[in-house]
Amino acid sequence: MYGPEVINDLRAKAKTIRIDALQLMKQSGICWIGGSFSQADIVVALVFHHMRHDPLNPKWEDRDRLIVSKSHCCETVYAALAEAGYFSKDLYSSYARCNAVLQAHTDRRAPGIDYSGGSLGQGLSFAIGEALGARTDHATRYRVFCIMGDGELNEGQVWEAMMSAVHHKVDNLIVIIDHNKFQSTTEVSVKMNIEPIGEKWRTFGWDVSEIDGHDFNQILGALEKADTVSGKPHAIIAHTVMTKGVPAFENKNYHWAWLSDEMYAEAMQALK
Amino acid sequence: MKRNYILDPLGEMKDMYAAYNEAIIELAEINDKIVLLYADYAAGAAGDYFRKRYPNRIYDFGIAEANLMSIAAGLADTGKIPFTHCHSIFAVGRAYNQIRQNIAYDGFNVKIVMPASGMLAYIVGASHQTIEDTAALRVIPNLAIITPADPVEAKKATKAALERQGPVAIRLARTIVPSGVPTIYREDFPFEFGRAVEVADGDDVTIISSGALLADCLSAIEMLEKEGINARLLDMHTVKPLDDKAVIKAARETGAIVTVEDVSIIGGLGGAICELVCDKFPVPVRRIGVTDRFGQSGTIEEIKEEYGLTAEDIVHAVREVKKN
Repeated sequence: MYGPEVINDLRAKAKTIRIDALQLMKQSGICWIGGSFSQADIVVALVFHHMRHDPLNPKWEDRDRLIVSKSHCCETVYAALAEAGYFSKDLYSSYARCNAVLQAHTDRRAPGIDYSGGSLGQGLSFAIGEALGARTDHATRYRVFCIMGDGELNEGQVWEAMMSAVHHKVDNLIVIIDHNKFQSTTEVSVKMNIEPIGEKWRTFGWDVSEIDGHDFNQILGALEKADTVSGKPHAIIAHTVMTKGVPAFENKNYHWAWLSDEMYAEAMQALK
Repeated sequence: MKRNYILDPLGEMKDMYAAYNEAIIELAEINDKIVLLYADYAAGAAGDYFRKRYPNRIYDFGIAEANLMSIAAGLADTGKIPFTHCHSIFAVGRAYNQIRQNIAYDGFNVKIVMPASGMLAYIVGASHQTIEDTAALRVIPNLAIITPADPVEAKKATKAALERQGPVAIRLARTIVPSGVPTIYREDFPFEFGRAVEVADGDDVTIISSGALLADCLSAIEMLEKEGINARLLDMHTVKPLDDKAVIKAARETGAIVTVEDVSIIGGLGGAICELVCDKFPVPVRRIGVTDRFGQSGTIEEIKEEYGLTAEDIVHAVREVKKN
């Protein structure tokens, strides 16, 4: 269990990054609000509590890496990095514009982003590569955290990566699956059912835990538990709510939307 | 007509991939960032060497080319220099998006080794004979492409690829039986990334070759010399970036070009040369290569005959291009 100060601080950060993410969405018009908000608490737990990193030294060799494989949900990631001090919030106004540092999928142009994504299913492999890099000449074994979508698990390459991470005992790799139950145009269960997710990862040889992805005690607990298991990679199945934080939009399919003035007002009101 | 740097007669038959393996073993001793990654492709002598001496610098991921390429990109981000190994057709075929999005987009320092490129992988048939790899890779930004012509050049190309910062594809012809391609070059020939080798001087026409058909080009220029045609022969080992200067010079000084490769005439070396000369110094060009068809099994002589890749075909193309 974690003290109330810790939890309250993380909750406050989670609110801040959702509000900031809305500014990015408003400025560009496009938004992946559903998945950006469902993953927000996980992102906060990693960036503001669990990961060893230095915003003033984004390429610190021994840093923990954050690979956001579901790269379209960039808004809350950028907001978290800005809030942590990786770059100025002045960059928000150029988000998704030509030559912008902040591209519409997470892009290495932005300090703090190590993975230029957008083609789903590849980030896990990339994360394995990052994790293997710690093997040869690193004194400290940094950790690699990879956030994936549940729909993303459709991609065949994910399963190639899953097999190889176990075979090569990549135990400094922690995957968090943002299981918000939606993908693209409909529910995961309707589009391409992937249950039972936890059982599949376990059978492949991963160390698996399942949590409420909006309960900071559970998120931090699962991350800490992963540190205690060696010899196998780790998967945390985080059960989350699409568009969490704006009750009127929760569990609705806001995978991708044009953010109307009404939506923006509704969301800002909910987050106040 | 002067010949430069080549053995006369041509040297032993040798497998280009085995030559690459010799190079990578030498390089491993001087550069500890090199890591070998495989998608269940035979690692050969390099595999034995690394598994014994550097077990943390060699990984096989099984028959999973997409996974291989994305892992290579992540590993490159940690400062390592990954060399990936899988059949050329599966690199460009099954991991094209990974090469493009994970490796090339951010310019990661990954060397993509592509054995069995082209029609000279004759016996294994259509599924493995690439016709499209040069064309498909050429259009990806940030990605350099080298196609050595013989085992000596394969070793030098490997070293040059390592010295170059950023992604490089190394296309290696591999025959199966007999195992190898002719050794063309003397050991001491000068190899420079991005600079064509002038194997033969001549002002009547230019033949520009990329890959192991250079040996057939040498036969062709012998035949042409007997007809009184002195052909310039350029080994364009680096297809991207092309040696623009050498091509324009050849166009200006010889007035006609024949390109030679064992992949499709659409979009490969031939396409690249046509794009350049049309832009800068238009001259007639004839392209020797695969004319928009798939490969098939056969002996190497049968394949060359069937697909128009013989010395006689090159000679015929020269006569045609000079008619214009």
